[in-house]
Amino acid sequence: MNATDATVTAPPPRRRPHPQLDQLKRRWFFFRRNTLAVIGLGVLLGLAAIAAYGASTKIDWYTMTPYCLSDYGPGTSAQIPGEWVGEGTGYWQYNFTYHYWMAGGPFNDSDITGCNPICTYEITPPPNASDWCGGVWYQTPITGSGVHTITYPALLAPTLNMRTLSPGAMPLGDLATSIGTSDPVYNVETALLRGSDWSLGFALGIVGMGASIGLFLGAVAGFFGGMVDDVLMRLVDIFLSIPVILFVIVVISALSTADSAGLFGLGPTNTPLFLLIISFGIVWWPLYSRIVRGQVLVTREQKFVEAARASGAGQGRILLRHIIPNSMQPIFIQFSLDVGSVPLLIGGLQYLGFGKLIFPPQSNGAFPEWGAISAIGVSGLPTALITCGNGVCLLPWWQLLFPGMALFAFAISVNLLADGLRDALDPRLLR
Amino acid sequence: MQMWLYIVRRVILLFPVILGVMTITFACISALPVVDRMDSAFGPPPTRYPPGYQPTYNCSYFHIDKPGQCPNPMYDKYAHLLGLDMPVWAQWGTYMVRTLTFQWGYVDNYSAAAGQFEFMKGQTVITALGELLPYTLELAAVALLIVLAVSIPLGNLSAVNRNRPIDQISRVVSFSGYALPAFLLGGFVSTGVVILLMGHFGHTMTTPWCPRGEAPYLEVNYSWPTANICYTGTLSLQGFPLWVGNGVTSTPTGFPTVDAFVHHDYWLGLDTLIRMVLPALVIAYGSIAGLLRFVRNSMLEVMNLDYVRTARAKGVSEKVVVSRHAGRNSLNVTITILGLTFAGFIGGFPIIETVFNLWGVGRLLALAIQFPLDYGLIFGSTILFTFIVVFANLIVDICYAYLDPRVRLG
Repeated sequence: MNATDATVTAPPPRRRPHPQLDQLKRRWFFFRRNTLAVIGLGVLLGLAAIAAYGASTKIDWYTMTPYCLSDYGPGTSAQIPGEWVGEGTGYWQYNFTYHYWMAGGPFNDSDITGCNPICTYEITPPPNASDWCGGVWYQTPITGSGVHTITYPALLAPTLNMRTLSPGAMPLGDLATSIGTSDPVYNVETALLRGSDWSLGFALGIVGMGASIGLFLGAVAGFFGGMVDDVLMRLVDIFLSIPVILFVIVVISALSTADSAGLFGLGPTNTPLFLLIISFGIVWWPLYSRIVRGQVLVTREQKFVEAARASGAGQGRILLRHIIPNSMQPIFIQFSLDVGSVPLLIGGLQYLGFGKLIFPPQSNGAFPEWGAISAIGVSGLPTALITCGNGVCLLPWWQLLFPGMALFAFAISVNLLADGLRDALDPRLLR
Repeated sequence: MQMWLYIVRRVILLFPVILGVMTITFACISALPVVDRMDSAFGPPPTRYPPGYQPTYNCSYFHIDKPGQCPNPMYDKYAHLLGLDMPVWAQWGTYMVRTLTFQWGYVDNYSAAAGQFEFMKGQTVITALGELLPYTLELAAVALLIVLAVSIPLGNLSAVNRNRPIDQISRVVSFSGYALPAFLLGGFVSTGVVILLMGHFGHTMTTPWCPRGEAPYLEVNYSWPTANICYTGTLSLQGFPLWVGNGVTSTPTGFPTVDAFVHHDYWLGLDTLIRMVLPALVIAYGSIAGLLRFVRNSMLEVMNLDYVRTARAKGVSEKVVVSRHAGRNSLNVTITILGLTFAGFIGGFPIIETVFNLWGVGRLLALAIQFPLDYGLIFGSTILFTFIVVFANLIVDICYAYLDPRVRLG
């Protein structure tokens, strides 16, 4: 036993421990094991990329007309929405309103290249055409309009049968029933693309605002207790009992009629988008404060709060630095649930006919928010049913399916991601 | 604490909530321009004035454009009739007293709601709401039954099989109901029904409930109530009660299904029930996810408790452990969230009833908030919704206190 024995094998060089990084790696390891959560993260990143791309295209927010994309130009074809008439006559007629600027003047049946199920026509620029922007000749005066009727033998009509409508027949079509009028006209895919940043922004902004108000008030109620608690919790009960739709409508219309100097000198509050976020935020906080209060009641009895108090921390510091950070976990779940349901509620408002109230007037009641787009599609369903006869009609399924898919992908990916994060960040569930 | 004492305390706590809701509704409505309110109640200015009425042209209460230029010289009179010339606190007091004594006023004559449905004009708000409430309650009851019948067994199942495929599938499928808007799903479903029926039955069909070879209204437009179910070209709802017709001449209970069975009109009762199934499924589909998640979480917590381990160690079979030991205890906690679930889907009724073309309080509320607003209906239906939610919560709390004595003792 001498000194040389100690140097037989040198221990491998240990890397310096990096507690935060190691912790992060461990969390990421546990997160990665949850396949659904990883899928959710991927879908959400994809949606964010789409939103970024949509925001970078210079498509006008309100009219959804692209600034002259070169791939819609003369020589390509466009679709004419119209209506089918002629039940039982042996002939099917397709009536649509056209405008002279649309195709350079009155045109013949030979300009129509196909009707399956909506007619397509060859575009010929008007003589004084300046700019072709997404189906509209800009800066070209409308010289007139009329109704054009195409007549088909009844044998061709079965392609219009809703039950045999082939999936490829109408991939993504126009939302509107007429071109060139003041009705909203845009493609579903353009609207979905351009509306993605608005939809994600609304969802995160509204729920974020509601959650932060709720977090603060709930923490105050739970921490101070007594009179404050009673008053705040009764307020929560009150707000939870008012029907949400009614409350939002009345708050928006009340605030929008307020003086344009604004409430509390905050500047103009009657901008519709601002009002939308504000009023939803007012409606959305109570549930959060109830959840947070329950958690704070548990947290404030913990040893570390006692230790902080013993070391001389003030009430405010304990609340902000110790109580609130340790009571935030149950909020994530509710947050992830609510984020997905904001577009649904906005769509509900649009469906009930409040598009012109809650969205900027330039959008003409058809703001490209995902929920609102699907609501526009649903609102058109009764018309679609009325215009069909003998079981043959055109069901605009693409107006429902694609916005629905977007909403669904967003809501479920946020939820899966939140579930995965909850599991990965919860120290008790790591075993 | 005794049970009765707990109930009394809980009921006393209701009053601030109800008064608060009334005050907030009043404040919101008061923030709206009074001119709209008068237009909605009394309509455009008359061409001829009542005898002896001297129009004054200063709208003293409403600084509309400039003093002396009043668009409707009757506004002074109207304001007096509606009590809008009182100070705000007096208006508030009047409103509170009238609401609590069930004087809820009349449906406005010139509102969008009255314009759409003539028969509501001149009715008291209480009549309108009272006739329509049973429809909503029936639908809510069916939907709640579906939610409970699906989410509790499924929640237990996915808690027992945590993170196995059955758990993942049930969570994703139930969450899809949460992620899809009710109006979208409802629109799809109702349109699909109409299309399917159209294709299969055609327009003229003799059925027990449409004996003269007319098309049932259901085929043309998915709807409720069953009055005018035989579509003869023009549809008009003539008055209250809406569904009376087809041999049913009185409404002993007001609930359409019950009344049909009371009258031994089983086809009508069946028809009413069938109409309820799809809307109830759509409502339930949206609410199942929240409850299922809650059931699953509380079940997971209970399954880790000591007494469950003891039961297992004792040799009790897994089936009995899940259904008796864990299941019942997790159910206690589940009851607490039922009130919120119920409030959630009652809040969704305006949309559901509109998209399915049903009659009910929600539909009435959706009509009342169309411009020009119907102020009487808004006040009335808000209070009604609040009562429903508040009493649902009360019942839930009492049930919970009964099941779990720690609540009323602690």
